[in-house]
Amino acid sequence: MGQKSQLWWDLPAIDTFELNKAIYEIPSKKYSDTLNELVELLEVGKLLNTQVRRLSLGQRMRLELIAALLHSPKVLFLDEPTIGLDVVAQQKVRDFIYEYNKKHSATIILTSHNMEDLLDLARRVIVIDKGGLLFDGVLGDLVGQFAKEKIIKIYLSKHADLKRLDEIGKVIKINYPLVVMSVAREASAVAAAEILQNFPIADLTIEEESIESIIVRVFKGEIIKKKS
Amino acid sequence: MNKYIEIFKISYTQEFAYKLSFIMWRVRNVIQIFVAFYLWDTIFYFSGRELFGYDRSRILSYFFGLIFIKALVLSARAQDVAGDIARGEIMNYLLKPVNYFKYWLVRDFSSKTLNIVFALIESVVLFLIFKPPIFLQTDMVQIAFFILSIVIAVLIYFLLLFSVNSIPFWAPELGWGGHFLVTVIIVEFLSGSLFPLDILPYNLQNFLSYTPFPYLIFFPLQIYLGKIKGLVVIKGILVSVTWIIFLWYFMNRIWKSGLKAYQAYGR
Repeated sequence: MGQKSQLWWDLPAIDTFELNKAIYEIPSKKYSDTLNELVELLEVGKLLNTQVRRLSLGQRMRLELIAALLHSPKVLFLDEPTIGLDVVAQQKVRDFIYEYNKKHSATIILTSHNMEDLLDLARRVIVIDKGGLLFDGVLGDLVGQFAKEKIIKIYLSKHADLKRLDEIGKVIKINYPLVVMSVAREASAVAAAEILQNFPIADLTIEEESIESIIVRVFKGEIIKKKS
Repeated sequence: MNKYIEIFKISYTQEFAYKLSFIMWRVRNVIQIFVAFYLWDTIFYFSGRELFGYDRSRILSYFFGLIFIKALVLSARAQDVAGDIARGEIMNYLLKPVNYFKYWLVRDFSSKTLNIVFALIESVVLFLIFKPPIFLQTDMVQIAFFILSIVIAVLIYFLLLFSVNSIPFWAPELGWGGHFLVTVIIVEFLSGSLFPLDILPYNLQNFLSYTPFPYLIFFPLQIYLGKIKGLVVIKGILVSVTWIIFLWYFMNRIWKSGLKAYQAYGR
């Protein structure tokens, strides 16, 4: 599901559902139970009888999901299920996928360039580039293995000689009063203490490198393929 | 079986989604027949005149019969297959427990049902306007052959359309070309829906009788009008059934290699 629509464009979505019911030979009782459950979860009760072409993309995607799930598949391939959706709709689709996975213990494979999808849903992450496998493992491992650095964000309370910061770590960005720098993971606590002692600091946070930037580095080849 | 009933139903609903478009398609059909009808009516106006083996009542029956035959044979949905392939939407059906050929056959069938209902209404109205002398076939053998030839025509057209609509497997944007070729040039001209084919030179007629096209429209009408009988009919049926077998084999071949070439791209 995703890029290829299966709903009949000129008809209300309920007609497609009825068709799928017949094609997959779903018993009536099970069909109406599943449909009611899905409709409730995705909050589309009012949309069932609207001609599909009159729906917004987000509404349509949720109905597409129902069409794909009526026969309770055990394996689900989702191709960019959140592409082009607004934030609210994205969240609805994501919450739904999560619930569905928990309830039916179905295997879900989804492709996405939306990192929120990854963070919220993915247990296992596979990064592919030009037909090659770059990473395959748990999301936590991707971060743990490759995020060798932590990001320290500092808000200065007044001007200071920032050259000395270079001794502590790598300065990424200076946009007074904000300074962003990265330090080795193990040294982050020491570095933070040192900064607090030697600089006029209004605020300081230590953050993980963002998942986007890790993946960017994976693609750039900074992270070498796991030995097979 | 239930699935195909459901496909029939949804396809039927779909035809009605755009009522105006459906009505315009019917109007187009009627106008075509109107024009041909008047033309031939004028030619045969002087009573007792007979041309190309037709008298006035038979030629007018020919064009009246066209309304039904066209509704039965030429109203089809399988021309949408090309779009399905070009847009990659065929994927939806390949993944489902449903036979794609039967799926379109059922959709054709639903389109035909709808069209035949309208054809009935139209012909009653036209009959009341023109009050033409209509030739009624009473020989049961001829009628049985007529029905058989209609079934053959429906199958030939389905197989032709399906084969031509497989072009987008290799050339995604060429679907319209094939459709144009089949519907406009071949079907309108060579099937006998503009004029009875037996006004053509004999050699050409003879040649055409070995192609599948006259069997779409001309052949069934000839049987109905009793212009061909017995052995000639049987020969025609043999030729057309051979075409069905060949086209069936051909379509399967195309389809198999098409699916191999298919890469599920799409817009």
